[in-house]
Amino acid sequence: MIKTKILSNIKNKFSDAVLDITEFSQEHILHVKGEYILTVLTDLKTDGFNFLADLTAIDNLTLGGFERFVVSYHLLCHQTAERLTVKAYIPEENPLLPSVETLWKTADWQEREVFDLYGIKFEGHPNLIRIMNPDDFDGYPLRKDYPRLGKKERSNFPVVDRGIKKKKRIK
Amino acid sequence: MDNDDIKSNILTTTLESAINWGRKNSLWPMPFGTACCGIEFMAVLAARTDISRFGAEAIRFSPRQSDLLIVAGRISIKMMPVLIRIYEQMPEPKWVISMGACASTGGVFDTYSVIQGVDQFIPVDVYVPGCPPRPEGVVEGLMKLQELVDKEKLSDYSIASDK
Repeated sequence: MIKTKILSNIKNKFSDAVLDITEFSQEHILHVKGEYILTVLTDLKTDGFNFLADLTAIDNLTLGGFERFVVSYHLLCHQTAERLTVKAYIPEENPLLPSVETLWKTADWQEREVFDLYGIKFEGHPNLIRIMNPDDFDGYPLRKDYPRLGKKERSNFPVVDRGIKKKKRIK
Repeated sequence: MDNDDIKSNILTTTLESAINWGRKNSLWPMPFGTACCGIEFMAVLAARTDISRFGAEAIRFSPRQSDLLIVAGRISIKMMPVLIRIYEQMPEPKWVISMGACASTGGVFDTYSVIQGVDQFIPVDVYVPGCPPRPEGVVEGLMKLQELVDKEKLSDYSIASDK
């Protein structure tokens, strides 16, 4: 199968990049240094993992791990129906990754989502702006150190009175 | 024309109650459906509960043509400026029904991005509880609003500029 062939070889091929290969529930996870992610994923795509099923991020603040931020790429090989998760580790200060939008168009919005919620920047992304939060939003709400109830964004709106003045307000 | 004809053909009333009667029986709702309450509101319009029996079947998706705003669903911080603008675009007189737990209190969504009750920012007349409320509940809320409209005094109205 493609996956076993790739995984047996990848440590030699990218000895600088690969941190670890782990297995969970018969699915393999490839742990990679962030700066090498584009070369590793380009290689995996040519080897058969042609489909990016999902792209998301994890904040390791309370979990521990190689670095604070992880961007995980869930790859699928349509030919053999095999799945592979690739995790890219990036440090807390200046979280920056190369964009994989050139490999998979679907990464465009998913990288914008990760940028919106985690503040991870993607180098080479064509349009890296917030996708869900308002444009003037301050902060990255899925980071573990972001307060759950926010920074008063939800109570920061003008109060609209009744246009007509009623002497007895209807309660 | 004899006396009996006059009695059965002439109705005397006040201008106020005639106006209120007209207003309460032709509320034109503007549904602001952002979640499952919006789907439930469609059932209120459908044959079984059928709010055309209360004269409120003329759903308008333009705030300029409606006088009843039905906030159905959770309002996020990105949607709140839109809701405020929609409310301000509605001509007077206007009323607001807050439908369901999310619109009234934020419901289970106690997070940074969800408004904890639209009544913090726009005036609400009737709250309908439920998650989502059953269509009967919305009809009950509509009837409560009709009672409120019926009791309104024209002398209570004045132009906004003196506030």
